[in-house]
Amino acid sequence: MQHRKYPFVFGFLAVPVALYLTFVISPFAQAFYISMTSWRGFAPPKWIGFDNYRRLADDGTFWKAVQHNGILLLVLPLVTIALALLFAFLINVGGGSRSGTMSGVWGSKFYRVVFFFPQLLAVPIVAVLFQTVYRPNSSGLINGFLMKLGLEPVGFLINPKLALWAIIAALVWQCVGFYVVLFSAGMASIPKDIYEAAALDGAGGVTLFFRVTLPLLWDTLQVAWVYLGIAAFDAFAIVNVLSVDNGGPDGTTTVLSVEIYRNAFAFSRYGYASAMGVALFFFTLTFAALTLRVTRRESIEF
Amino acid sequence: MRMHIRSGRVPEPRSGNASQNLSAQISTARPSTEEPKMSIDPEPASSVPTVARRSLLRGAAAVGLVVVPGTSLLSACATSGGDSETDGGGGTKSDKNPFGVKEDAALDVVIFPGGYTDKYATDVHEPLYKKAFPKAAIKHEAVTEISTVVQPRLASGTNVPDMINNSGSKLLDFGAMVADKQLADLTDLWDAPSVDDPGKKVRDTVVPGTVERGSFNRKPYVLYYVSTVFGLWYSGKLFSGRGWTQPADWDAFLKQLDDIKKAGITPYGYAGANAAYYQYTVILTHAAKLGGQEVLKNIDNLEDGAWKQDAVKQAATAWAEVGAKYLDKAYEGLKHTDVQLQQNQYKLAYYPSGDWLENEQKKDAPADFTYQLLPIPVKGKLSTKAVRATAAEGYLVPAKAKNKAGGLEYLRQMLSRAGAKGFGELVGSNTVVVGGAEGVTFPPGVTSSTNALKAAGKEVVDFFFDGDYKDIEQECRTATNALMFGRETPDQFCERMQKKADAVKNDKSITKFTR
Amino acid sequence: MTIETQRATSPSRHSTPDRGKPSTRSEARILSRLGQVALILWALVVIGPILWTFLASFKNTAEIFSSPWTLPAELRLENWSRAWTKAHVGRYFFNSVIVVGLSTFGTMLLGSMAAYVLARYTFIGNRFVYFLFVSGLAFPPFLALVPLFKVVQNFGLLNTYTGLVLVYIAYSLPFTVFFLSAFFKTLPGSVAEAAVIDGCSHTRLFFQVMLPMARSGMVSVTIFNIIGQWAQYLLPVVLMTSADKYVLTQGIAQISVNAGYEADWSGLFAALSMSILPMIIVYAFFQRQIQAGLTAGAVK
Repeated sequence: MQHRKYPFVFGFLAVPVALYLTFVISPFAQAFYISMTSWRGFAPPKWIGFDNYRRLADDGTFWKAVQHNGILLLVLPLVTIALALLFAFLINVGGGSRSGTMSGVWGSKFYRVVFFFPQLLAVPIVAVLFQTVYRPNSSGLINGFLMKLGLEPVGFLINPKLALWAIIAALVWQCVGFYVVLFSAGMASIPKDIYEAAALDGAGGVTLFFRVTLPLLWDTLQVAWVYLGIAAFDAFAIVNVLSVDNGGPDGTTTVLSVEIYRNAFAFSRYGYASAMGVALFFFTLTFAALTLRVTRRESIEF
Repeated sequence: MRMHIRSGRVPEPRSGNASQNLSAQISTARPSTEEPKMSIDPEPASSVPTVARRSLLRGAAAVGLVVVPGTSLLSACATSGGDSETDGGGGTKSDKNPFGVKEDAALDVVIFPGGYTDKYATDVHEPLYKKAFPKAAIKHEAVTEISTVVQPRLASGTNVPDMINNSGSKLLDFGAMVADKQLADLTDLWDAPSVDDPGKKVRDTVVPGTVERGSFNRKPYVLYYVSTVFGLWYSGKLFSGRGWTQPADWDAFLKQLDDIKKAGITPYGYAGANAAYYQYTVILTHAAKLGGQEVLKNIDNLEDGAWKQDAVKQAATAWAEVGAKYLDKAYEGLKHTDVQLQQNQYKLAYYPSGDWLENEQKKDAPADFTYQLLPIPVKGKLSTKAVRATAAEGYLVPAKAKNKAGGLEYLRQMLSRAGAKGFGELVGSNTVVVGGAEGVTFPPGVTSSTNALKAAGKEVVDFFFDGDYKDIEQECRTATNALMFGRETPDQFCERMQKKADAVKNDKSITKFTR
Repeated sequence: MTIETQRATSPSRHSTPDRGKPSTRSEARILSRLGQVALILWALVVIGPILWTFLASFKNTAEIFSSPWTLPAELRLENWSRAWTKAHVGRYFFNSVIVVGLSTFGTMLLGSMAAYVLARYTFIGNRFVYFLFVSGLAFPPFLALVPLFKVVQNFGLLNTYTGLVLVYIAYSLPFTVFFLSAFFKTLPGSVAEAAVIDGCSHTRLFFQVMLPMARSGMVSVTIFNIIGQWAQYLLPVVLMTSADKYVLTQGIAQISVNAGYEADWSGLFAALSMSILPMIIVYAFFQRQIQAGLTAGAVK
């Protein structure tokens, strides 16, 4: 494979790398530089070294946002993966062992199609949808129902104790379908004789799930964890549109991306916002590096 | 908020509290009358290399072979905008042309098409300019997301508009623009002869306070054009049908709220999700009426203990009680449009807002709704008649505008009688031009606010901190919701606001303004 | 690919008696019931809001806000025509199709080339370039908005499809390279070696041998990219400022703001339905291929 390798490698990499450097790396490099300045968006920036970072350390809102990102990082992948695994398992294997062949529950094809729908919607659309779902009076989808039953309406987005969870629920709603399909795909490629053998040994559904399905899906699960983790670090559009008062009530739903956005575009503090962005970058990078380290995949072929 | 969202009349003068709502963060340069010429003008600083690199890369993208050397970070740097301030004009100055506009120079106008839409510009102000300078081509752009679209243009110094209506949820930060010397000084405008009477300076044709409103540390940079009165709004039809009259004092007001509640109507409400601004306007106006103009001045000037003044505490206490007894808790999760719709359906009695409300709701409110304004019904150092009124809706000329003289001239034309009258007729609002609304018949709501302003005489209050210090503004929204929806006590409200104000005061990186 | 097909092709098995123990059978039955309930519930949760949007698109504002759980009193088709003509949903849709079509193609071409080289060739700087791409997964995109605007402006590409397509490609590369290079690594080396021995050039080896072998992975990454780029919102907001070039998400967002201004909620929901329905139909139509692609790609 050595002959004329370098011209080929170069030719294949040149355009993608050039595009990537121009439109991704160079703007981000500039953002790193801006984070060391007091730039307000207009006149040339003034270098202030690490002042912005020092400010970050004492900024209560910043740490609150970090904390919320942390919660998202734990809860979003956990809940999404758990639900997706459950559904994927039911769809593919939940029908029990019929005559030794594992089958999905009745209507599994239908579910596989329907569950994917939310993934097809752009986040701004999901957010507009959930504004209606959560509306705190009788015109809300949930509260309209509750009030018909004579119950008190629930302030999903205005109760400081509930708001973050309501937002996470909307994210889960959107994400689950994709992972159902992903895991279904994984399960479908697990050789059927493994199940059949296990079923012959008298293994029930629960046993099958934990002893057979889960271990064989481990790689896919880890990939899912990385994607969801990265999604948890963003969460910008959904929080910004869905939450009361942009990250409220009283800052109980704010996340880093919202604070960056607020500082940059509402307060014109591009320098400070960039410093937050750089912090976010390192958080995400640390997370991804840690997870990827764990995920390092062996190429196992069935 | 309305502000945010509709914000045509955004009540956030002087920098505006844009809360950034994603849903509002949408930009829109509406189709302009001409083809948007997204020009390739090389920017002044590094034109040659830029052009060369540009064509090179385009080629590269097309052929897919050439490598771009290093994509030189520096020359592509977003922050390297030059600061050459252009000197407008080029034409000869005269009484008719006080800024020396070059008569065939193109004029680039950016209008925020919010609650007022941009029709007043295309149908009134631009034709006036065109009449004065028939050879000038006007490029009109309607932009919803002002900062997203305009900020990079200002920062890079390319395609800088000549006049910007800076408004909406995504308006440009006035303080930052002043600090970075992006705005043309409007002293020349205010000292220029007026369009209608060359013997009179423009500054003498506007309502007192207009120049001050748009000044930063006493230098005028912004024209706030629309005269806005704040108060509590109710339906004349609903109230007269039920025999409810304007309460004379606070006790009568509370008693009336009780009656309204008994009648099965929510007595009072504002939208917590995005319009807490409307409510803190009420609380602060209340405080000023109890303790006098000084109360708000102290807050604006970041005086020690300003938020702990007795008047502020009393006002917060009074409104916390209203919140506890008469407010629908669900409103914290609603947007202004939802709450306003409730009022139009006669499910809500009093709603705090500015007098853009009537125009904003004209499609939704029943024809006989009859908006009426009630000034906050308290007295102390000021009488019950006192109101908060301000000039809103900012217009500015960028310092780097190519046709700066044209931008100033456009503002001068706006401030003419014809400009003000046309605006009043189209959008149903008063402008800051004295007598500008003569001959215009306003609908009942604006009529009632115009009368209230007249009745208030000198007892007009206003505050500036919301535009000067965004941090305090944001905190005030949050604290107001916490107070009104019963999560925090009035003492906590004052404590919390004072803490934020002190933090801003001690933060050297924040430019301070005094009035 | 699924078990069901297998079941269908071997009907004879159905008649054979269950070989599991009785306890297992009842356990399985209960699980199956519970599972069925859980699936139905989630299906309702998913369909509910979407169906509601669809129904609301035929209501008027008063109906939407006063009685969310009732059917529209009449089919107000004018909401749809208003959204289509006045709000230009058709135009935005078309723009999205063009941009996403071109950029997905470009992303897949360039991404697979880079991923292939990085996965299967050792050369100086390989790891560096690889991590440069992969670190892009961690960049919060709005951080770059202002500098990016300037860069695009410098190339004279503001407000052009070309500009947006190039930017989409650039921002899709980290994920594409990350995913595909992992995939290329799993392909057996023997075929490639045989081809090289036959005198096949590197380029031909890639296009005629490796790429077809990687088809399943390519399909799944293509789907990821289409979904991701279709939903992209921040980038077009900054880079496409003239209304006739808006992509669908921008258009919807603008309509939702305007709905706030004009209280045209039914128009908003009609526009939402219009943007949702085609995606659902396309997906329902191609779901077999899409899922097969995901199967092969993601799991390998």
